Amino acid sequence: MTTINLSQPLDTTVRPDNYLTHTSGFMSWAFTLDHKRIGVMYMVSVLLSFFVGGVFALLVRTELLTPGQTIPGVTADVYNHFFTLHGAIMVFLVIIPSIPAALGNFIMPIMLGAKDVAFPRLNLFSYYLWVFGALFTVCSLLLGGFDTGWTFYTPYSTTTPAGGVIAALTGVFILGFSSIFTGLNFVVTVHKLRPPGMTWFRMPLFLWAIYATAIIQVLATPVLGITLLLLIVERAFNIGIFDPSMGGDPVLFQHFFWFYSHPAVYIMILPAMGIISELISVHAHRHIFGYKFIALSSIAIAIFSFLVWGHHMFISGQSPLLNTLFSLISFSVAIPSAVKVFNWMSTLYKGNIVLNTPMLYALSFLVLFTIGGLTGIHLATLNTDVHLHDTYFVVEHFHYVMMGSALIGMIGGLHHWWPKMTGRMYNETLGRVACVIVFIGFNVTFFTQFFLGSQGMPRRYYDYLPEYQIYHVISTIGSYIMALGFLLTAYYLMASLFGGRRAPANPWGGGSLEWQCSSPPPFDNFAKQPRVGDCYNFSAIRWDEKEQGYVVDPALQASVNPNLAAKNSH
Amino acid sequence: MAIKTQTVVDPFAGAPQRFAAGVLGMWVFLIVIAMLFLGAIMGYLVVRLHPDPAEPFIPKGATGLPGVLVFSTIALMASSYFMRLATQKVRLAQWQHAHAAMSATLVLAMVFLALQIIAWVTLWRNNIHFGDSLYAWTFYVLTGLHALHVLAGFIPLIRAWSKTARRAYSPEHPEGIVYCEMYWHLLGAIWLMLYFTLWLGMRT
Ligand code: HEM
Ligand SMILES: [Cu+2]
Repeated sequence: MTTINLSQPLDTTVRPDNYLTHTSGFMSWAFTLDHKRIGVMYMVSVLLSFFVGGVFALLVRTELLTPGQTIPGVTADVYNHFFTLHGAIMVFLVIIPSIPAALGNFIMPIMLGAKDVAFPRLNLFSYYLWVFGALFTVCSLLLGGFDTGWTFYTPYSTTTPAGGVIAALTGVFILGFSSIFTGLNFVVTVHKLRPPGMTWFRMPLFLWAIYATAIIQVLATPVLGITLLLLIVERAFNIGIFDPSMGGDPVLFQHFFWFYSHPAVYIMILPAMGIISELISVHAHRHIFGYKFIALSSIAIAIFSFLVWGHHMFISGQSPLLNTLFSLISFSVAIPSAVKVFNWMSTLYKGNIVLNTPMLYALSFLVLFTIGGLTGIHLATLNTDVHLHDTYFVVEHFHYVMMGSALIGMIGGLHHWWPKMTGRMYNETLGRVACVIVFIGFNVTFFTQFFLGSQGMPRRYYDYLPEYQIYHVISTIGSYIMALGFLLTAYYLMASLFGGRRAPANPWGGGSLEWQCSSPPPFDNFAKQPRVGDCYNFSAIRWDEKEQGYVVDPALQASVNPNLAAKNSH
Repeated sequence: MAIKTQTVVDPFAGAPQRFAAGVLGMWVFLIVIAMLFLGAIMGYLVVRLHPDPAEPFIPKGATGLPGVLVFSTIALMASSYFMRLATQKVRLAQWQHAHAAMSATLVLAMVFLALQIIAWVTLWRNNIHFGDSLYAWTFYVLTGLHALHVLAGFIPLIRAWSKTARRAYSPEHPEGIVYCEMYWHLLGAIWLMLYFTLWLGMRT
């Protein structure tokens, strides 16, 4: 079972070019079918959106420095537009596509030892859908914007000016289909393109996570699609099933929306969990603990995620029986989440931990996800949620899980795979410094919101009582610290492209297949299909001074598995 | 003409693997479409089962579903049958039969759409207007959404129809027509479900 089989990364010498240099010119990118280039295009687009969403976040936080108006010209109305755009951009344009579509597209086929995803054309099509969706969402600004919150609750969304709302709904509808097609592609890729020898339980855990995510994407997103479609028709003709004046039901919209959006929070967090499994075991140089538990808990989370949407609606007038059931089932989501956290902790225990940037991000994730997950329990508890609903406590909760976990996981993964994607090493010292700054800034910003929320400060408010001001000021300062950290990150990552040291094939000592092809990989990933072993067995991998990276030591391999070593030497 | 892009890399080891992946991809796609309609039907049922007490769901003067829907249902079912036949004939390399069956599929699909239009016109003439009641709104939106999917289905149908004429399939490689058939049966099944739901909705 524990066969390891890592051939030396020979590809480096064999191939004259890599996926970046294989062809050149604008067209070669715009019409590329290469999953790696599509992944890079997604990554650039997502990071640009992250910047725009971040600017809105800073505007929101700055406006909240004082009660009433702070920034000249920003009225309550404008403020509503700010937080709505911030939320919509961050959720639909950044977090949902960031890991599956950007990092997943790049890494998943290589991890599988495949040459591409199953349907490369569909993959490119998904990317352009994303672009169109993003354009529509941004165009809503020109048509008057929308201020419904990212949740589009009726009757806000059916009574506020139509132009911006319809454009934004159309944008999100298109983005939904981009996400669906990515999911479809990944389901088929994982099912049909696993190489011989890679059984389900030999897949890297990142692939399990991406697979579970893809299942949610294809099952839940169509429901969002039809909801938005019905809402668009309703907004355009001023009649529809969400309009109570003719017997429609506005709460029905909430049911529909959360039937998608609760699973969607797992579309965001599951891939991040997959990344964390990789980061922790590779950078602690220790076999992942409880592989099967981590793998199956992803599936369990995917299943549970469909049964808990009502916990967003405890005070919507839902029947007490439903409330109780949704509360109860919500608690059960904590079980598979905790299973993962415990297994990561056990992997770290006695591991050979290297505190480099990806590991620091992984550790940040552990802390922040634990806080975010535990506050979820408070919110899933009926009688506490009645008080906490629609306060800053909820804001704090979902920022700990969406930003502190999903996004931090993504950034950790970006650092982990950056050498593979670009062929360059970034400045490690700056990386660590930036991570610490982000971590501190994050907690200053959002831990404060616990106090705000538990003392009753409602979310989405422009004005507030003077007694809350001190917390708002601290929170805003935190957001500036965080911005500093991210700007520093942007700086040294860009700088690495020009002056960074050339990356070896395996800079961290990873065992999964992507570390076997050169950095950056050749256009077809692998010249011959690699053979597959246990990707978390690091016993035959050692640091090599000449290579300035990790290599498989034939001698070590021989002692681990003489059989395979013999085969490899041919 | 040729745009110089990356060398296209084929992810598959061979045609059988590609076909298997295509079929799985189609299944996932069918699930996506089915979820879309399931959502729409759920929405309909919720507003139907919790009507406004002040106003009956079915407005005065509404005389049930247009009778022509029975015939459109028959047309769509028959179309589905001929689609099945066409694939079978392709697998047997009986090209003339295959093409004839495809033609029947296409014609019946057009008949279906024509009958749907008649149904809408009938309702409209009976003063059941789109914006007047939720009953009208849901009827037009649900049947319209389905009709749009049928309309989109013409693209693969016409493609398969012309490919059977050119004998562009082979018994070993019927991929395109198989995918087309899968989609077509799904639209038939969804229509049955939709029709049944609307029929239930008319009962009081
Ligand atoms: C241990 C697991 C979790 C539990 C039990 C849980 C529970 C809850 C509950 C009950 C609410 C509703 C609070 C209210 O509105 O009164 C909520 C809100 C929210 N949660 Fe979680 N949650 C969990 C994990 C997550 C994760 C992993 C994410 C995202 C990655 C997430 C994202 C959100 C978001 C975005 C909202 C607020 C949505 C809004 O109203 O705008 N949650 N959570
Ligand atoms: Cu939820």
